[in-house]
Amino acid sequence: MPLLGSFCLLFALALAGYSFIAGIFGVARKDSAGFRLAETARRAGIVTFIAVTGAALALVWAALNNDFSLAYILEHTNRALPTPYKLAALWSGQEGSLLFWSWLLAGYGLVLRLRHKIDPRLFATTSTVLAGIQVFFLVLVTFVANPFGIMGSLPPDGNGLNPLLQYPEMVIHPPMLYLGYVGFSLPFSFALAALIMRYPGEKWIHITRRWTMVTWLFLTCGIALGAHWAYSVLGWGGYWGWDPVENASLLPWLSGTAFLHSVMMQEKRGMMKVWNVWLVFITFMLTILGTMLTRGGAVQSVHAFAQSAIGTWFYWFLGIIFVVCLTAYIKNRDHLKSENKLESLVSRESSFLFNNLVLLAACFAVLCGTLFPILSEAVRGYRITVGAPFFNKVMVPIGLFLIFLTGIGPLLAWRNTSLGSIKRNFMVPAALAFGLGVLLIFVGLKPWTDLPYFYAWLGFLLSGLVVTTIASEFIRGGLVLKTKLNTNLAAAMVHLTRRNMRRYGGYIVHVGVVLVIIGLCGAAFNQEKEQEMALGDKLQIGHYTLVGQEYTQDDNANYSSEAAILDVYKDGKPLVRLTPEKREFKASNQGTTMVANHSTLAEDLYVIYEGKNPDTGHPIIKAFVNPLVIWIWIGVLVVAFGTGIALVPNAAAVKAPVASAIAVVAMDNAMQPAGAGK
Amino acid sequence: MKHVFRIALLFCALPLLLAASGDNARYQTVGGKIMCMCSCDQMLLKCNHVGCPYSARMISQLKENLNKSSNDADVLNFFRREWGVTSVVEPSRHGFELLAWVLPFAGLGTGMVLVILVARKWKTQPAAGAKTEARLDPKLEELRQRARRETEL
Repeated sequence: MPLLGSFCLLFALALAGYSFIAGIFGVARKDSAGFRLAETARRAGIVTFIAVTGAALALVWAALNNDFSLAYILEHTNRALPTPYKLAALWSGQEGSLLFWSWLLAGYGLVLRLRHKIDPRLFATTSTVLAGIQVFFLVLVTFVANPFGIMGSLPPDGNGLNPLLQYPEMVIHPPMLYLGYVGFSLPFSFALAALIMRYPGEKWIHITRRWTMVTWLFLTCGIALGAHWAYSVLGWGGYWGWDPVENASLLPWLSGTAFLHSVMMQEKRGMMKVWNVWLVFITFMLTILGTMLTRGGAVQSVHAFAQSAIGTWFYWFLGIIFVVCLTAYIKNRDHLKSENKLESLVSRESSFLFNNLVLLAACFAVLCGTLFPILSEAVRGYRITVGAPFFNKVMVPIGLFLIFLTGIGPLLAWRNTSLGSIKRNFMVPAALAFGLGVLLIFVGLKPWTDLPYFYAWLGFLLSGLVVTTIASEFIRGGLVLKTKLNTNLAAAMVHLTRRNMRRYGGYIVHVGVVLVIIGLCGAAFNQEKEQEMALGDKLQIGHYTLVGQEYTQDDNANYSSEAAILDVYKDGKPLVRLTPEKREFKASNQGTTMVANHSTLAEDLYVIYEGKNPDTGHPIIKAFVNPLVIWIWIGVLVVAFGTGIALVPNAAAVKAPVASAIAVVAMDNAMQPAGAGK
Repeated sequence: MKHVFRIALLFCALPLLLAASGDNARYQTVGGKIMCMCSCDQMLLKCNHVGCPYSARMISQLKENLNKSSNDADVLNFFRREWGVTSVVEPSRHGFELLAWVLPFAGLGTGMVLVILVARKWKTQPAAGAKTEARLDPKLEELRQRARRETEL
């Protein structure tokens, strides 16, 4: 099998190389011979997928059959490892994850190449760019980080999978994240191809936008699953630690989000063409930069792979990509001239512009913080640590400003918005948001006592503004359709959404983001308590009382464990029984915590079994009360739902029972914020 | 408009005032900027390793220094000296490390200024597409705009 895997990799590399070179010549020649050559390149690209799949299956087969003659399988699995985690071995280490990356890239390429009839020339050029990226990853996986390296001797058992990765979410989280990361290769390839061939019109933007949305959704889900995994496994009571690898995933997410917004400017007004092209380029480069940082050992992280020579390859690849992008841009920049220009600073266009700016500033801030230790080492000779306190201080104000823009954006009209219309549209949402702020103070939130409280209060207030704005958009449109279609408001709003899935799907995404923000704001009110607990001892935290009922031990082939059985009372009434656990994995001699979490809409009771005090022999329990955390996960689900809605094509236009020009115009006006164009 | 501006300014300054006055959670705040040196990659106050050889000592040093000095920077500098620069996870506010604080906001500020300048320039100059638009039939253009509005494409 290892031999088959190696052969498949070599075959895939040869095919991808052919697809790349034949693609270049095929696209360059504009005659029928060129077309035929491009067709062979496309087919080679399709077979590349089959070959890489063969290599990936060979590695999975080796993991499932405990083939410890392979160094990679020895390092990342053991006999007692449950089957799902053996499958996860494919992306658990450097070599396997690069093979997985290549396989996903080939998979995306397959979809692209099968859909070539949409626009054969554009797809042929895009397929060639993609083949170039594929060649790089296959070279890495074949010559630099080959997962099919053979051991000199045959050990009886493997070293096992990292205990932190032995959690159900880890079977889903990395593939999601990789789908997001690798997926950005497609918008990049489309953008570069369209620029190189001076593709006329905005069709490529339509195609790219869909790919970007799908990719963005995968990345969003991947990041959220990672946060949920950290919350459930790392046992420090939080979900986001601003670790360099977490930051690396956030960077393309931020620039991708900026692109999804600014692309609307190009579609609607033919503006920001240069900006959009560079946003796609930057997003792809950030995925490569993130990979380079963590795989090359440039930054230290709990996620990072061991330091290896692989970083140099990524430096070169990044450099080549930048040069190619810059050259393509310089040669074809006249093709990217804007059709229109900004007419007013108070318009929907400018709100998109500022939204992009703030998203990129956030991206820049995260990049600065992540790279600053490297910069410090280069300039001052020593490496400093930049952690959560820095990122929280910098990112929270930027994030709040972004939420504010999310709130006011839909209130502004395209082209120009009059001050009167702003006042009219802004008054109700602002008054409601302000009312919410006052209400929060009345129920006991004192924003003046501490900075985190102030930020949380402001976060709630701005969330209220965004929700009110979005609700007013739905209601205003719904009311117009209600009268027009003679139906109820709910049905009218559904109709409204179906009529413009992208716009209203986008609003639903914004609601999801607001829910996430509400969840994040809850962190300002976290409580924690640590206590040694003998049998029958009580731990009081918030409204909860934890009583130690029993302490147990267990042992299986993979790990031994200790657990505490705790009865939880809320305000004196029995609530639930929790069993936090600590596991010690045998193959790796590493331990991990299994958090016990009782989650409600209001708060999480999060309990960790830390182990036994060596002096007293009593277990140590750490409990957290984390308010509103569940809203983060609900928010992500809403974001996913909204993105799904936005991906669905619009339903046919509304057919009014009585079509009159006046009614249509009235409807148009109502769909736009009042004062549009004034 | 002036009132709105003043209120906005006060609102923006509030975080600074609060940052200066948030002494009650000083232990948590300063402790949240120090990393446990047991290689667990966790903050000092979050380290959940039973029998951790460092955290107890570091926490007692933290308490001692908080009592000794009213300046948080002094406390953090003590840890930098005692445990190395990597023990503090927040760059200091002077010298080269100040750059880490300045860069993100300088980036945002520069971007804002650039956007405003470009937008003003655009407003004062005729659009490049204006000539093309002028050649179009106004009725057709109106229909085009309406189609775009309605389909959001």
